[in-house]
Amino acid sequence: MASLIEEAPRFFGYYNLIFLGQAFAYTALLSLVGCGLGFLVGFGLAVLRNERIVGFAPLRWFATIYVEIFRRIPFLVKLMVVFFAFQLAGFDASMFAVAATTVALSASAFSAENIRAGLESVHRNQWDAAETMNMGGLTALRRVILPQAWAIIIPPSMTYSVGLVKSTSIASQIGVVELTYAAKILNQKGFSAAICFGTILILYFILCYPLNLFASHLERRLAPSRHR
Amino acid sequence: MAYTLQYGQVTPYLGYLAGGAWLALQLAAIAFVIGWAIGLVCASVLEYGPRPLRWLVKAYVVFFLNTPLLVQIFFLYFALPDWGIVLGSYQAVLLGMAINAGAYLTEIQRAGFRSIRKAEIEAAETLGFSRIQIIRYVVLPHIGKVLFPPLSNQYIILTMTTSIAAIFGVEELTGRTYNINAQTFRSFEIFSIAALYYIALTLVASGALYAVGRYFFRIKGKVF
Repeated sequence: MASLIEEAPRFFGYYNLIFLGQAFAYTALLSLVGCGLGFLVGFGLAVLRNERIVGFAPLRWFATIYVEIFRRIPFLVKLMVVFFAFQLAGFDASMFAVAATTVALSASAFSAENIRAGLESVHRNQWDAAETMNMGGLTALRRVILPQAWAIIIPPSMTYSVGLVKSTSIASQIGVVELTYAAKILNQKGFSAAICFGTILILYFILCYPLNLFASHLERRLAPSRHR
Repeated sequence: MAYTLQYGQVTPYLGYLAGGAWLALQLAAIAFVIGWAIGLVCASVLEYGPRPLRWLVKAYVVFFLNTPLLVQIFFLYFALPDWGIVLGSYQAVLLGMAINAGAYLTEIQRAGFRSIRKAEIEAAETLGFSRIQIIRYVVLPHIGKVLFPPLSNQYIILTMTTSIAAIFGVEELTGRTYNINAQTFRSFEIFSIAALYYIALTLVASGALYAVGRYFFRIKGKVF
């Protein structure tokens, strides 16, 4: 303990703080870009999977298979596959792009599930009613279903996004300088592991805890009414 | 594409990988059981324990739910030796996974406790059920039905999480994949095969758990 207090002023020096701040921003950016892209793709997949909108069954199968595959590969393995796939395809992608693609792939599969559950939570009579009003599938989705479904879609999606923020720590394996990698670098510079990893644990907590709180707040706030 | 995929060169290693998959399943199972025990104790404390203890458990759960498992294990593996606690890589990974899973399983099991209404137990008492009968016929079926889906979900997640062990040099499925990659340099091929192994592993686990849930707890619903 005494040695920790002794090295703390040196560890929290000006340049280290800037370095950690940048790494923190990098983690946040990686999560934001990955989850944003993933949510968009996931939305597309959920729409593809909905038989009220897409009449062509093979497209629905494609969406189902995509979701099942990418939900079931661990982040680390997915990261490696994406990394080598970029290499094979001859793209000279930055490590950030590789990591963001991996986050997006995970996010797309999971948010597709969340969004599908949200769409299915709306009573089928609503679809029928919209059809009676001569609305097409997409119009019904936009004007009737989504306004009722988004309250069910948003909270679990946010919770899952927090999970992905935590997963980005694995991107340190390919050398993206986010928080975990920054801690490893500082550790190799001679600071004790306790202070390096302890600090970034707290930084991750600062990033994730408010998001989780907000998600559970939304969950309570947007709880769907029981009577339908 | 200037590269030809050479799956032929990695096929001799399929058995070796399957061994790794078995190790991953073991790791997940042990971590799950320990985490379950931690979760059960912590959930009981949260519901019935004294206030200071409750705060302690709450702090544990909140902290471990909001920080990455990888960094938690890094801390266990690299920082604890400074205080004289030296863990092997397998032990560090197992301990980290168990403590982390314990936090999730606390939350899940607490929800299970909450789902039993007092009126149900009172009704059983009115019908002359003994204490054991109440637990056997009222509490357990109810808790089982509520808890089984999230618990099995957590187990599947834990199975995938075991891949993190590779970063610490444990030779489970991903660790062995790294080994084969270092020997053959057929990187894309071997990692995509590892991905298929994980898909197969979790699909089988999901299917088995679904069957168990259906048979023992009468849970209806879709697996996929």
